[in-house]
Amino acid sequence: MTSQIPGNIVTMESLVVGKSARMKAVFEYLRVIGNSESTVLITGESGTGKEVTATLIHQNSRRRHHPFVAVSCALFTETLIESELFGHERGAFTGAIKDRPGRFEMAEGGTIFLDDIDDVPLGMQVKLLRVLQNRTVERVGGTRTIPINVRVIAGTKRDLRQMVAEGKFREDLYYRLNVLPVALPPLRERPEDIPVLMDHFLRRFFRRKNEDVPPISDAVMQAFARYNWPGNVRELENACERIAQTCACGAIRIGCVSAAILFGAAGQPPRSVPTTAAEVTPIAPVRATLPAPLDDAAPPAVAPPVPTPVFATVPAGMTPSPISLDDRVREFESSLIRWALRVTHGNKSRAAALLQIKRSTLGDRIVRCGLNEAAAETSTEAKAV
Amino acid sequence: MTIEKERIQAVLDRVRPFLQADGGDIELVAVEGRSASVRLTGMCAGCPAAHMTLHDGIEAAIRVEIPEFDTLQVA
Repeated sequence: MTSQIPGNIVTMESLVVGKSARMKAVFEYLRVIGNSESTVLITGESGTGKEVTATLIHQNSRRRHHPFVAVSCALFTETLIESELFGHERGAFTGAIKDRPGRFEMAEGGTIFLDDIDDVPLGMQVKLLRVLQNRTVERVGGTRTIPINVRVIAGTKRDLRQMVAEGKFREDLYYRLNVLPVALPPLRERPEDIPVLMDHFLRRFFRRKNEDVPPISDAVMQAFARYNWPGNVRELENACERIAQTCACGAIRIGCVSAAILFGAAGQPPRSVPTTAAEVTPIAPVRATLPAPLDDAAPPAVAPPVPTPVFATVPAGMTPSPISLDDRVREFESSLIRWALRVTHGNKSRAAALLQIKRSTLGDRIVRCGLNEAAAETSTEAKAV
Repeated sequence: MTIEKERIQAVLDRVRPFLQADGGDIELVAVEGRSASVRLTGMCAGCPAAHMTLHDGIEAAIRVEIPEFDTLQVA
């Protein structure tokens, strides 16, 4: 039985796609400890992939055909966590209407992952220590001693040694857990993995929409490289999902990036964007939306909005993104034609008059801009109305 | 009381380099009392997601530095 917390999972591939020396070292180490039976202590900030790492260790161990049970110790109060981990007998407390095995029993033969071990209250730490030493559990309200055969992996976001020094974590439990330590580096300490992870996640999220990943501008790469990612891989994953959900202009530009990342990155010095980004789609023809779509009800007399041309200077440390003039002009032309068709409800003669071109010219341009379907749709809508 | 334009300009200036590198810009149109309006130009001007992002982000960033700030309008 696998127990997982939805939304709290950094996917397996995302951890494995790391190409930095730091991550390679971690993978090497995981391979080495895979077949060991010893307790593992995974230390890593939130979002660095502790649970994925635990899963990986389990799947590479002799216990892989037995259950992997993950439990976050941060989710329960002191009394609840005891019954959650060790189970309870009927009548042990109000609401204990039947016998219930604990997570340790459920993981029999396999691996238990005790995440957020740093959130376990001191009183509970003693009980946990006894279980680890004796390899037996007693259900809450029970008298039976149940032997367990479970490999323990613990996860912590805080430095347990520091907590021991502060008297917040039992020293004996710390040593019992810290047999095979695994330290997962935060994303900001392995910036060369950022473009690789971006590529990985963007591909995944755009594939879900059945779309190819659009070109990514240099400014976006720069913002992602400079930001310090306090939420690590999970935050990067969410940022990529957001881009895939909101990007509608055929290119991933700075407007697709969340403001938190933008402002966070703005406070950081420029970073050379790693060139390992060969896998990241290079910026190619830019297809941006120009005038904002107009309301259907807008009277044809209203002129389409003309965007102010911007000839911005490019600040030091940043490469301007290539912008194809032909593509931009075509985009602009196409947006004006769409506008004219919309406000005339698909009437091509009136649209042509509005744009001060011949009806036949408009027909050609509609074909050239690939607007045939859009034109047809607009006129159907108009008929339906 | 009116907030000085320069204080709002300073917040905009922090993200401006990224927008400019992407063929866009953000302009401070007006400051009225404790509110301000800005205009997004260039590349991301037509993108509703960009408006949303920059509106929320800039408004929040201005408020961190100028707690009495009221509302931001993005044109």
